[in-house]
Amino acid sequence: MIKYIIKRLFQLIPLLIGISFVSFFVMHLAPGDPTSLFVDPNINPQELARIRANFGLDQPIHVQYMKWLWNALHLNFGTSYLTGQPVINEIAERLPNTLILMSLSFLLTLLITIPIGVISAVKKGSAFDNFFTIFSFAGMAIPSFWLGLVLMLIFSVKLHILPAVGNIVLPLITMTIGSLAGLTRYQRASMLEVLNQDFVRTARAKGLPERVVIFKHALRNALIPIVTILGLSLPDLFSGAFIIETIFAWPGMGRLGVAAIFSRNYPLIMGIVMFSALLIVLGNLLADVGYALVDPRIRYDKNDK
Amino acid sequence: MKRVIILLSLLLLLPAHPSLSLPIPAVDPNGKLIFSLGGEVSVLNPILSTDSASSSVEDVIFSGLTRINEKLEVIPDMAESWSTSKDGKVWTIKLKKNIKWHDGKEFSADDVKFTFDSILNPKVNSIRRSDYIIDGQQIKFVIINKYTVQAILPKPFAPFLSRLGIGIIPKHLLQNKDINTAAFNRHPIGTGPFKFSEWKTGDFVKVVRNDKFFRGRPLLSSIIFRIIPDENATLAALEAGEIDSAGIPPKDYTRMKSVKGINVFEYDTLLYTYLGLNNDSPIFSNKKVRQAMAYAVNKKQLISLALKKQGTPAYAPASPVSWSYSDDVFKYEYDPAKSKAMLDSLGYKNDPRFEFTCIINQGNKEREKAAVILQQQFKKIGIKMDIKILEWAALLRIVNSPKQHKDFDAVIIGWSLGLDPDSHSIWHSTQYPKGFNFIKYVNPKVDRLLEQGRVEMNKNKRKKIYGELNKLISEDQPYIFLWFPHSVIGVRDRVGGLSKPGPAGIFLNIEKVFIKK
Repeated sequence: MIKYIIKRLFQLIPLLIGISFVSFFVMHLAPGDPTSLFVDPNINPQELARIRANFGLDQPIHVQYMKWLWNALHLNFGTSYLTGQPVINEIAERLPNTLILMSLSFLLTLLITIPIGVISAVKKGSAFDNFFTIFSFAGMAIPSFWLGLVLMLIFSVKLHILPAVGNIVLPLITMTIGSLAGLTRYQRASMLEVLNQDFVRTARAKGLPERVVIFKHALRNALIPIVTILGLSLPDLFSGAFIIETIFAWPGMGRLGVAAIFSRNYPLIMGIVMFSALLIVLGNLLADVGYALVDPRIRYDKNDK
Repeated sequence: MKRVIILLSLLLLLPAHPSLSLPIPAVDPNGKLIFSLGGEVSVLNPILSTDSASSSVEDVIFSGLTRINEKLEVIPDMAESWSTSKDGKVWTIKLKKNIKWHDGKEFSADDVKFTFDSILNPKVNSIRRSDYIIDGQQIKFVIINKYTVQAILPKPFAPFLSRLGIGIIPKHLLQNKDINTAAFNRHPIGTGPFKFSEWKTGDFVKVVRNDKFFRGRPLLSSIIFRIIPDENATLAALEAGEIDSAGIPPKDYTRMKSVKGINVFEYDTLLYTYLGLNNDSPIFSNKKVRQAMAYAVNKKQLISLALKKQGTPAYAPASPVSWSYSDDVFKYEYDPAKSKAMLDSLGYKNDPRFEFTCIINQGNKEREKAAVILQQQFKKIGIKMDIKILEWAALLRIVNSPKQHKDFDAVIIGWSLGLDPDSHSIWHSTQYPKGFNFIKYVNPKVDRLLEQGRVEMNKNKRKKIYGELNKLISEDQPYIFLWFPHSVIGVRDRVGGLSKPGPAGIFLNIEKVFIKK
């Protein structure tokens, strides 16, 4: 298992370099550059050329990339064009906020999804099941920016219970509702499938109490697909954070990224892309390790018995 | 003596006759004002920043040599006075004495020279550098004594006065440092009414009262600038009382006017929106076609539908609130019959008479709506207009391309008018294809007036020059001028001490703004 993890970690290096290569060139394909966005009749175009040269943007693109890569391999991601501060510092200031929001939402989703999914499956067709079926479809259909604004209108403007901006509760609720909706359906389906399998029937036939059948035998197996989906939904959480951080003025990395893209702040865009990519591939690795923990049939090393 | 002063102040507080006294709201000595900013604050150094969020904060931390008053006139700030030599090339600026930086050091001519020299330093990434270069030659700044600076211009240049308002930065903290990356830019020290206190990136910037501010002690104890990127969330925060002021977009105007506890102010801005016609294209190169099109545009309808009436029609590239404005311009008031007749006589008799494509930038709701309305208005007289929405940078790449023939027919875009009426870079024929005359407007008379306006130092003579200039441009209609949008701002009623609503803003004298007790 340890060997497998180390091997996977080493595979990350070429993967991340590949990601950086594609991102760097795609980013430069977008029209404009950091200086072309100033449309001020008082600014002489020669001045913009001077600033471009100060940033090194007058060099051929492959040279710019090799320079960036060389520095990045030494953990130097450059300085932001707008603030003059090191990109690493900018990300370090924002990343914790995004991680707090994401991990809390992740945890909350798990805590709510599993019981709802299990109960819905066990009591299939009950009022409880029907309610959460409707809730799920509604949750999936409602865009998070709309839900966020409605929650803000109710809880901040009308009821005055929660601040509209800069507080974690409303963004957390919005984000969790969004991911909850889909996951409870998966959990329900996966549980239903397991409940119909032979080993569950056997367990029941052995005369085990229903509680033990469901939580010990069925649930553990029903969790396997959920672990996959959670691992895969990590990028969704990231992109969701972009929108939610903007609406609720949450000072996270998503917003920093959007602003960086609009201002063509290349070093910052690259820094954020690389960090997000790293987090996502690490998340997937975690999900793979998670499989092995919940499913005894999965073993990653030949000698690992 | 002390007792006399107390008595006097008591007398002043007691109204002589209750019914005659004006209700003066009590000032909360611990008043904390909360502003909202739509964008991220990037850097707190006036010579480097390029975004409006950063300048909003810089405005209260730094001071310039000059500032503007409610009538948009340039008045002294840290400068005591200025004078120009007879040939208009040497400007002598006298500074106020006893102004202190927030760290206690005294402000002097050294700081002024350092600021302008830094802007002119090619290594410093200041986009303001061209403001201090005239015909390729730099303006020289010379220290005469501790409180006097001279600016030596290569030739007379009237707009120079409007370039003295930039925030002055402290030499003692920035000399021999890389200004682009200096830590100062995150912990600024200025001479303004408020001192920098705290900056949580992406969240807020806090400034506190500068008790020693040279124009007088501010009434507010602190100001918080909250960063709220989403427009709807900003309005929700204003309604919920979490912020004190926010810009109101046209779509929310009626609703916000009825919200209790919020005063809505409305005033003209210096921005104008126009339909720029590529004068280089075979159809639009004919002045008569452009004039006929101007008759087809119903500006009232446009403002009423696209801006919910929050705008004033524009007829020339000058704002009615500016000192240089003259109303003697060609207006081409809405007259579709005349428009049709003109196009008939020009030989455009087919159906459609002609076709063109108008490009606009994505994300600007007012311009998107205006494009659709203009499409209908042109359709009525038989002209087909197609609309193409592009990302901002993609649109700029087309209009700013250095090619001899630019690849567009028409564009809806806007300009922000500067404090000085000089608009050489927008209308002079030398500003094509490189420069901001991207629609290729060429009129030798206009060129000559633009050149005269820059070197004439007499304000009344300048007013005449620009009046004539605007009349010529309005006659030629290189753009179809559309509107000046109104700025609509909601402010919570607990805020007092605002200045008269006008294009200079209502928080012009921030040291006089207060929170009512």
